[in-house]
Amino acid sequence: MSSLARVRETLAMGLREYARTPVLVGLLVVLPAYFVGVFVLIAPDTTVPLTIDGTRTTATLIAIYGALLVPTVGALIGGIAGLFVTLSATEADRRLTIAGLDPVELLAARFSLVAAAGALGVAVATGVLAVTVVPADPAAFVLAGVLCAVIYGLLGTLAGLVVGRLAGVYLMLLAPMMDIVFFQNPMVEDAHWVASVLPGRFVADLAIDAAIGGSIALDPLGPAILECGAIGVLAAFAYYGRITA
Amino acid sequence: MSDATASPPATGRSADGPGRSARLTRGIGAQIRSFVRTPLNLLLLVALPVVVVEGYGIAMEAFPHLPGIQTESLVAMGRVNGAIYAVAFFAGVLGLFQVISARQADRRLGLCGYSRLELFGTRLLTVIVGCLVITAASLAVLARTTTITAPLSAFAGLALAAVIYGAIGMLVGAVLPRALEGSLVIVFLVDFDDFLSSGMLNIDTAVLSAFPLHFPHRMVRDAVFEGAVATGDAAGAVAYALVALLIAALIYARVTAGGVGQ
Repeated sequence: MSSLARVRETLAMGLREYARTPVLVGLLVVLPAYFVGVFVLIAPDTTVPLTIDGTRTTATLIAIYGALLVPTVGALIGGIAGLFVTLSATEADRRLTIAGLDPVELLAARFSLVAAAGALGVAVATGVLAVTVVPADPAAFVLAGVLCAVIYGLLGTLAGLVVGRLAGVYLMLLAPMMDIVFFQNPMVEDAHWVASVLPGRFVADLAIDAAIGGSIALDPLGPAILECGAIGVLAAFAYYGRITA
Repeated sequence: MSDATASPPATGRSADGPGRSARLTRGIGAQIRSFVRTPLNLLLLVALPVVVVEGYGIAMEAFPHLPGIQTESLVAMGRVNGAIYAVAFFAGVLGLFQVISARQADRRLGLCGYSRLELFGTRLLTVIVGCLVITAASLAVLARTTTITAPLSAFAGLALAAVIYGAIGMLVGAVLPRALEGSLVIVFLVDFDDFLSSGMLNIDTAVLSAFPLHFPHRMVRDAVFEGAVATGDAAGAVAYALVALLIAALIYARVTAGGVGQ
């Protein structure tokens, strides 16, 4: 069996496990729909100033927060899924490694599973948002959301391996909302320096660009992919260390 | 069950073993020891309020003053919101994991003669102790940088926010006994509730009062900035807490019926 086939098979096993727990799949659909749906239903339709690529413009609160809430949904799902998928798979993956499976293949399969959960949440959230506000560039917007889910999924994996389950849940509960909705908020003209070191910096810019600006600049996309790769390497080392220990 | 067990003597012991109050105390003691045994949990109790309260304050520092937001200092408002968020999410996750991690143990304790009421009481009282500790810690962090006009009322508002989410966490844990699903629900509930109830968006709809943190947010904001809490808000928060506790108890009793943890 080729390396790719093994990754595919491990991923398929993970997806079958998702499918066997319909409650989880249901939650991945219902929670994003609730999160974005209730917001667009009750949020005030006020127009406020914001900054996109250094230019001041205006948009409605629903458009701005809608653009921030979708990547937040991805980050919340990715973070929690990353935390639990890897923690629960560690023992099995250790045995699979002893049985001869390449740890890198296992890592690829586990992280793809986390990305799939995040992508489902982002797709549902974008669909619900689109009933009220259609992102200017829907494909780029979904890409931003999925990237956010992957980044936080990798961070969730790291959190689970480094600080454990309970502290990891606290981190993954707290970080996405504070990072994306508050620190990366485009209504802020002169952002605090903390915003520039948080993981949601580039993906939030990307999401705002795609939702309101209608363009996707290489400036936030490139660094977002690099950031994703860098955190991925860290998470891979941590997970590799755990399953081969 | 013998009469002696049904009506334990004043010593707290019956012919079959310790009486109900002693068993409750023992159960709570065991839960607290189990929590304290992990140093990271203690670190979280101290670090979380500091990170969340100060983090919210910093995040709000550069925020624009949106129309309809009634506060002179967005930083102070951010810190107040951070304190409520800290207690709510700490209590929610604590309640969730109390129930999830207790199911196996409770099944055995049920076989040993513990009633469902005792087991729920033990878990609940442990969560309430946790709620009071995190409330005190959050209020202390808030008081370092913000003048709290009515500290007792602020404590009451924060404690109610914690108890409401502690009960919701237990309820979610009883209905969804797997950590992944339960955590997802708590994460979405707390984040969204706090976001909408915080008063940052000037949302004017009756739907908002259905959110668990709506009344506690109003209570704490009024206690910190105005020095007086509206009776309606306090009553609403207390009613919400009682209903949440009652539903959590009923669901817990239902899912553990016919054998604890089954």
